[in-house]
Amino acid sequence: MLGEFINPYYLQVGSFIMINIILGLSIYITLSSGQLSLGNAGFMGIGAYTSALLTINYDLPIVIGIIVGAVVAGIFGILIGIPSLRLQGVYLAIATLGFGEVIRVFFINWESVTRGAVGISGIPHIGRELFAFFREMGFDPSAIGLKNNQFVYLLVLIILLMINILLVWFFIRQNKSRVGRAFAAIKMDEKAAEAMGINITYYKVLSFTQGAILSGFAGALFAHVMAYISPADFSYHRAVEILIFAVFGGSEVIWGAVFGATFMTLMPEVLRFISEYRYVIYGLVLVVMMAFRPQGIIDVSGLEWLKHKMPRGRVAHGSKNSKHL
Amino acid sequence: MLLEQLINGITLGSIYAIVALGFTLVFGVLGIINMAHGEIFMFGAFIGVIVTTTLGWPLWVAFLAAIAVTIILGYMLERFALRPLRGKQGVSHLAPLISTIGVSILLENLSHHLFGAGNHPFSTTFAEIHYKIGSITIYLVQIFIFVISVILMMSLSYWLSKTKAGKALRATAENLETASILGVDTKKIITLTVIIASAMGGIAGILVGMAFNSVNPQMGLSMGLKGLAIIILGGMGNVKGAMVGGLILGLSETFIVAYGDSGYRDAIAFIAIIFILLLRPQGLFGQKTSQVGR
Repeated sequence: MLGEFINPYYLQVGSFIMINIILGLSIYITLSSGQLSLGNAGFMGIGAYTSALLTINYDLPIVIGIIVGAVVAGIFGILIGIPSLRLQGVYLAIATLGFGEVIRVFFINWESVTRGAVGISGIPHIGRELFAFFREMGFDPSAIGLKNNQFVYLLVLIILLMINILLVWFFIRQNKSRVGRAFAAIKMDEKAAEAMGINITYYKVLSFTQGAILSGFAGALFAHVMAYISPADFSYHRAVEILIFAVFGGSEVIWGAVFGATFMTLMPEVLRFISEYRYVIYGLVLVVMMAFRPQGIIDVSGLEWLKHKMPRGRVAHGSKNSKHL
Repeated sequence: MLLEQLINGITLGSIYAIVALGFTLVFGVLGIINMAHGEIFMFGAFIGVIVTTTLGWPLWVAFLAAIAVTIILGYMLERFALRPLRGKQGVSHLAPLISTIGVSILLENLSHHLFGAGNHPFSTTFAEIHYKIGSITIYLVQIFIFVISVILMMSLSYWLSKTKAGKALRATAENLETASILGVDTKKIITLTVIIASAMGGIAGILVGMAFNSVNPQMGLSMGLKGLAIIILGGMGNVKGAMVGGLILGLSETFIVAYGDSGYRDAIAFIAIIFILLLRPQGLFGQKTSQVGR
């Protein structure tokens, strides 16, 4: 019955989508205060390595590993974020890009801990650990008509889905709060925002650190879903891929990042022949989007149009950003 | 030993300087960081490999072919990735950066398909010729690279300071609107700048191919990032800064490899970027401006 519809491969792709959505959110949140960070792949790597090493070497539970990974990434975010405030626009982008590369070089060279370019394998898998837990409780997946591996992947997907719903809800709330409005004000015009009494330093570091924590969190999840990580997973290409999520989907609204991550993860899976040319297409997407639709596929006016079409939708007075991206 | 390392460092540094000059020209005129410069450089190197190794033609043909191809690439970059963004309302200053990142990813992976992944050897007829002066060995290739770089830098400096087109370029870099009012065809100058920068990248590509005897699709990225590090070190848009910054990076990398841990060689550039940006964001030779990163 249920088991016939569930293909572990689809579940796996679903899990990747969920992780990529978190990464998309991480760049969305730094972009929402007008900062472009290309170091999210580095933060992701920090989260992944921290969590993987903690759970392997010290036998800590995965949950603690993931939380510590996200926190460590966040601490790095603060450390990088505070001095980077002196930098604007492209300078910040380059400094963070440099940071990401330094992190990757350290992962490759610090062989005694990170096992170098070979990477770390045998990382505890979220699904399998949970499965073992359920089995101890005396639960058998065949009771609901599922095979073991289907059950494992389904568990992972459900957990990630819940995390995502929580995160999206949190950031929608935040956008409507004092913090979100401060971000938007800084994005529109930093000097004007400062003149209005917004503490620029605090909010810029906050937004940058939120991005770092999210990337670290996504990285830790990535490690425990893949069960294998290597420095190549956190290279410049990953940074660009994360950037694509926001640029393609839309960097004005949270749904843009969600849509971008979903679409960009699905596309190479659905169209297998594209997979080989994936990065070529990524490149084209960046160029074309910048030329024709810098705000991304989903923008504020598009969402408002949708709300009009919805029967019970409220029409929000969203301020239209004049500055895209 | 020390002298030999010094020569190696200067050779490497002069190549870095040429790569960095390409960045600095575009940044000086357009205020844009051209992330695709490294990939254009890599294409130049591959053209060199094809002409000299695959076809077996002489080296000067390789230079001409590389310049021709990179000029075309530079023109296309300007036409399709930069021009549509210029003068458009409501586009943030990050848009051109993202657009050139797109071009860089596109070119890198295109070269994977066109030329194949992995290392390609770059054979020149005089690769093994070397001279012994006392205890040190100097390869002819090294002298060749150094001479070409010096010629390039000198002619660029001359062109920028003495010729009419060079003056127009500097005027455009100073202020686009004013230059345009004073009768400079800024559109043409911008295209010219990108083309010249790309051609210099192509030449640097061949020089790197000769220096390391290997060319691969990833070299564009690492060289591009190093070029970025150099222009930040020397000051954005500063021609002299790019040259000195290139030499500094080349020498420090060579000495790290010789006397330290070679694995961290690639990290030097980025650690330098981070420190320079934090301590002296205008770079070693840059002037403090109120409007950075426009």
